[in-house]
Amino acid sequence: MCYIEAVATHLNLTHDIKEVVPDATLRRRMSRIVKMATAAAFECTGGVQGIAALDAIVTATGLGCLTDSERFLEQIHRTGGQMLNPTPFIQSTFNTVGAQIALLAKNRCYNMTYVHRSRSFESALTDAMLQLKEGDARRVLAGAFDENTPTQHHIMERMGFWRKAEDGEGAVFTLLTAEATANSMARVSRVEFLSSPLSEQQCRERYATCSDGQVWRSLDKTVYPCRSALRFAEAVEEVRKGVPEIVVYNEYFGKEPTVIVLQCL
Amino acid sequence: METLVRELKEHLIRELNLEDITPEDIDSKAPLFGDEGLGLDSIDALEIILILEKNYGIKLQNSAEAKPVFYSVETLAEYIAKNRR
Repeated sequence: MCYIEAVATHLNLTHDIKEVVPDATLRRRMSRIVKMATAAAFECTGGVQGIAALDAIVTATGLGCLTDSERFLEQIHRTGGQMLNPTPFIQSTFNTVGAQIALLAKNRCYNMTYVHRSRSFESALTDAMLQLKEGDARRVLAGAFDENTPTQHHIMERMGFWRKAEDGEGAVFTLLTAEATANSMARVSRVEFLSSPLSEQQCRERYATCSDGQVWRSLDKTVYPCRSALRFAEAVEEVRKGVPEIVVYNEYFGKEPTVIVLQCL
Repeated sequence: METLVRELKEHLIRELNLEDITPEDIDSKAPLFGDEGLGLDSIDALEIILILEKNYGIKLQNSAEAKPVFYSVETLAEYIAKNRR
């Protein structure tokens, strides 16, 4: 169990990134998804002072920083592994976002990144909840990000992914606390990883604790590995508005089902 | 030399992704590294080594010679003019 104090969702780069990252050297090496995710983390925590006050930063991504990964691989292919530019390599690593967030406030707290395909966000959430439960942290920033690129879109198109769905991207961050505060919006009561898919009825029977709660099956048309983080953010907003409980069930193309249960305070 | 200096500045802007900077904004005599001038860092130094190799066929053999060569755009251009292939 943990409490949600803030949630920020960025589906495109709208923030003035110069305000978020004043250091031009840091900024000029950041790709679009890194800027988007850093801006979401910045908004979620309320700025540099909020980041400095964090006890843990836990990020999640299904495919990582694809633009820089593609640039790096393309260079290897073109040059045969010779004369590789360092920046795309450095920026393509999965923990780039977590590191950039920490660098903004020079925060040396626990910093972990989970890369477990569509279960990445739930993995990060689980780690964050354990940090809070065991008393190692009192304020944890957890988030997920994934970007799409023309190459990735093309490859997945050839695999037939876009016959029934379209790709998406975005960054979602949430600020979690061990205790409820005056700013708490909802609480996360459960996160589970399932071995086989569940129907809506099965989800309700297994996870719902009140009759007027809702079950959300995240099977809509826009998909990307960390899509469940976006559904989580949308569900927090609904719980804040008064829905007593939402069971967020996520499946990625019929695989790797997970459940997050959110409850009102 | 003037053409080479301008070309080098354009390479630096493009490869180092220098935001909101035009070739005219870069002082050819100003230091490339440190707090003055462009304020580049060690990762940028690696990128400049690649600019020299890819565009001018220059491979720096001796790291000791790099410091004075990498001082400014002007010193880089002079080195390229003498050593390009």
